Amino acid sequence: MSTLNLIIIDGLSFALPLLIIAIGGIYSERSGVVNLALEGLLGFGAFAGGLFVAATAGFFASTSNAPMYISFLVAALGGALFATLHAVLCIKFMANQVISGVVVNIVSVALTGFLTSTINATFFGNPSVKFMLRTSPRWTIPYLSDIPLLGAVFTNFYPFEVIIIAVALFAWYLLYRTRFGMHIRAAGDNPQALESAGINVSRVRFIAVLISGALSGIGGMAFAYSISTNFSPAIYFGSGFLAIAALIVGNWKIIPTFAACMVFGLARSGAYALVLGLNADASVIDLAMIAPYVITLLLLVFFGKSNQAPRALGELYDKSKR
Amino acid sequence: MNAFLSKIKHFFVNVLGDERWQGIAIPVFSILCSLIAISAIILMLGKNPLDAFTSLLAGSGWLPKASYSGGKSMLTDFMGMLDAFTPMLFAALAVTIALRSGLFNIGVSGQMLIAGFAATMLVGYSDLPAIIARPLVLLIGMIAGALAGLLIGWLKHQFNIHEVVSSIMLNNIFAYVISFFIKTRYIDPITRHSKGITAAARLEIAPLQIGDSITAFPIGLPIALLCAIGIWFLLFKTTWGLELTAVGMNAKAAKYTGIKVGRTMMLAMTISGALAGLAGATYYLGFLKSINPGELTAVGFDSIAVSLLGNIHPLGVILSSLLITTMTRGSVYMSSTVGVRQEITSLIIGMVLLFSACGGFIKMWVDRTRQAEEDLSKSADDAGDDTPSPAQIARDPALWNMSGGETL
Repeated sequence: MSTLNLIIIDGLSFALPLLIIAIGGIYSERSGVVNLALEGLLGFGAFAGGLFVAATAGFFASTSNAPMYISFLVAALGGALFATLHAVLCIKFMANQVISGVVVNIVSVALTGFLTSTINATFFGNPSVKFMLRTSPRWTIPYLSDIPLLGAVFTNFYPFEVIIIAVALFAWYLLYRTRFGMHIRAAGDNPQALESAGINVSRVRFIAVLISGALSGIGGMAFAYSISTNFSPAIYFGSGFLAIAALIVGNWKIIPTFAACMVFGLARSGAYALVLGLNADASVIDLAMIAPYVITLLLLVFFGKSNQAPRALGELYDKSKR
Repeated sequence: MNAFLSKIKHFFVNVLGDERWQGIAIPVFSILCSLIAISAIILMLGKNPLDAFTSLLAGSGWLPKASYSGGKSMLTDFMGMLDAFTPMLFAALAVTIALRSGLFNIGVSGQMLIAGFAATMLVGYSDLPAIIARPLVLLIGMIAGALAGLLIGWLKHQFNIHEVVSSIMLNNIFAYVISFFIKTRYIDPITRHSKGITAAARLEIAPLQIGDSITAFPIGLPIALLCAIGIWFLLFKTTWGLELTAVGMNAKAAKYTGIKVGRTMMLAMTISGALAGLAGATYYLGFLKSINPGELTAVGFDSIAVSLLGNIHPLGVILSSLLITTMTRGSVYMSSTVGVRQEITSLIIGMVLLFSACGGFIKMWVDRTRQAEEDLSKSADDAGDDTPSPAQIARDPALWNMSGGETL
């Protein structure tokens, strides 16, 4: 397999989970709720999925892939459940949204760490901080994978990449082509106008934050499968914040955000491949790994000026305001 | 039953409603709520919450332990706690001054790292005498942090890059680049950390014999406390502090009054970076005395929480830093004596923050309820006004979000 193919394969498997988390962020922020909690949401989602896999290990045949597919559903539910915390703090308790996001992250790290070790010690008899998952299968589509260059997209990919693309397409349709999507976008740009059209702004925002939790949970579960094949505190490696950077580079729109995630993923796998290809010392990989971050900063330097955040982003919704 | 409930309600409203004490009463109320919640969890695990809390205090030197090994005492534990407290206070001050100017410095960890690395590399392995090396360590740390802060402020002012994004990118860039240099030049093959620094560069007076116990005094501690007072003076007693707060509350309004918003933000971010740099110097050359390559310290992220708990007030964060450090330092002893898992400490901290994030809501609820009670008892002609006065908003950061302000 050529190096270029490897770069594309690895790049996609990092970019797509990042994309689905970023789309989660877009839902929340387009509805007017700042979401720095993505990191915590994806971690809790992966925790829920990992717990499901660990708890049901005896019910499935050892070769069955069913627990993996169900774990993505559970991760989405877990992420949405935990997002309720952010939604309640921001919408019901009118907490500062940035502060709430930070607090939700801290609580997520603390709670999943505590619960994982407690559950492992109580039910499975070993006080580890990990839930082991099964290795995900990888698929290759015959014929399509033979196309030069583009074939890499259809080679050796994780099943979750298909799930993510399907969910992302649906999320795009929901946000831009349905009445509900318009309500979300209006809630972030002009909530007073939406309210005067008879729509409950708080409710729309609440649902948007829950959706962002569900999508982040899927992304978190995907990272748990692709990076480490387990759930451990290592899931909090900053991908939630990278997703926020991606959605800001993408100007809070899904398609440009997809491009930003791809640039990020390809820069990352490209840097890896470069170090491997040069047969350089292993420590050089540290230097190569700054590539995606530097590129993101440069993209922002060139495109940041024209960025326009949703107009009511971060504002508490006040019905009486004109 | 209803009468009883309304009496309880009345009690809380009275205690929390006094505006002079609200700044303290509401955080204390949040802490109490979280302690109750945590007690419930510890009870469910079948342990005694009171034991857990006293062992937390004993582990950090506030209460005597059952037994001590040779040369150690309550004082050793307490000094150890202060050693960890010093960088936490610096870091929380860094977050505080940035938040006051409406900026969210989530990059304290990265600024700490680059400051610690610069000081370690330039002074830590030199043969300078302590009298020169120690001030130099602090100075280099401060400058390195300030430059990193300035970069973030400049990127925001010049290119409209949100400080949260740029500081997260810089955090990662610093962590990888510094990891590369440590691994290739300064690695200790046994510990896998950076090589040990000279005794002259360490920011502590050690060994210090007091009575029977051998301990160490963190040199950064008095400086950190002075910085807290200095930042308080700067923010609340100088014109520039007023300008900075004005920018933080409403950048547009500040611009129309003639304040140079961009310059103020850049300067605030530079000071914030300088404080983070001091945190880095005291953390990596005082508390840890080495750098673990590739790791960003949790102090930088916890300090955000500490600052919020301290009401984003330079003197308040002294208390909140003390509280959080006490908990984290005491957790090891707690888990060994009571058998509660160590992770529960971070859960306690998370709970405290969760309740204090609702501080604004508690305040609003209290004010509204009190207003309603007053309206009932008084004649109806002086109708209440829920909107806080500008002076009230200026005093209470929990109300800032009501006036709009900076967003992501």
